[in-house]
Amino acid sequence: MMRKSANIVLLLLAVVFCYGLQISKPHYGDLIGPIPARGKLADTVVGRAFEVHAEKIEFARKLKVDQFGRQKVLTTGGVWAVVTVAFAARAESTVVSVASWRGPTGLTYDQTERLSFMNGLLPVAVDPGLPRKARLIFEVRPDQANNATLLISEKLVAALDSQAEISLGPVTITADGLPGGAVDTLDMAEPL
Amino acid sequence: MLESARSRLKAWTVAGIGTAAAIAAAGVLGAFGARHEPLPVLAPASQIDIGEWLLRPLKAYVTAEKYAYGTLLKPGGKALVLEVEMTNRTAKSTKDYFDVLQAGSTVVDPATKPFIVLTRDSTMSPELHPGMPERMAYIWQLRDGAAVPASFDLTVIRKTYKPRDNLYGLPGWFNPTPAGTLTIPVGAGPAGADIQP
Repeated sequence: MMRKSANIVLLLLAVVFCYGLQISKPHYGDLIGPIPARGKLADTVVGRAFEVHAEKIEFARKLKVDQFGRQKVLTTGGVWAVVTVAFAARAESTVVSVASWRGPTGLTYDQTERLSFMNGLLPVAVDPGLPRKARLIFEVRPDQANNATLLISEKLVAALDSQAEISLGPVTITADGLPGGAVDTLDMAEPL
Repeated sequence: MLESARSRLKAWTVAGIGTAAAIAAAGVLGAFGARHEPLPVLAPASQIDIGEWLLRPLKAYVTAEKYAYGTLLKPGGKALVLEVEMTNRTAKSTKDYFDVLQAGSTVVDPATKPFIVLTRDSTMSPELHPGMPERMAYIWQLRDGAAVPASFDLTVIRKTYKPRDNLYGLPGWFNPTPAGTLTIPVGAGPAGADIQP
């Protein structure tokens, strides 16, 4: 009888211990997540396979693009955010393919897919010793422009690989609800 | 002889009580209640919240043009176009809207998948971004020689959020189930008015 109840107590203890481990330890998804390489605007952020340097951010209500020789003006429900970045590969050639914009409240905006025909967007191939510039273009809500973070990684599932996290700093929102310095139309034909 | 009959009776009784208890437990847990409940009928002029998306049907029409929002239609065929305002309610950009709306089989062959186009600039199935409503067009090719219907049925499919899936431990939307049906009137053409402001 004594032995039986001791067994039950032991079993209950094991259950409590396992539950404690489950709620206190990081989950699998957190363990295999990307490894952040943090930096600020105008810093050079060094990851495992590539380096990235965010030069400037521009906001615009409309984008003027060249599609197969025709001019096209793209509107958006929010505001266009265009980040000019310079990439460099470290030891071997690589392809940087994914960028997203994380707003102050955690909403994550992937790079727009509406400009897939344009040059100078991700994915870009970078080779060691040959730095390359690129534009990252996002459609964001104006309230997500302030204190945003730019996330750049080589692959969509950046498991156990480095992801550049560049904090873009404060952006004032003007009375018309747009970020400060937002232009009406930004011409994407201008050289990088 | 008598002894064996008694033990058999005892075994049958125990098994019977166990089965009855199992069925009763299943009934209490709702195993029999979930079936055959009719789908709720949704109002076309309303906001439909299916967790991942907020939908606002705007208008439907049949077109016989060669192109509908930049998508090439079958020559000589007609296409049913449903314009709907979609808002991504999640925290991440997504294009998980391919199975959200299913047109009724009386109008559209269930095997035909719709083209889904952003009406703003006819981009084919782009990612939609959090908290930014966009007008999207679902374009179904009608059967050859089909008459223009006065209205059509639509089934709205919703998914359930799981903070961690069982394979990768990552958040996601799973288990599509019908959330309701609605009947949408088919208007005259692309210039028709929206059914809600």
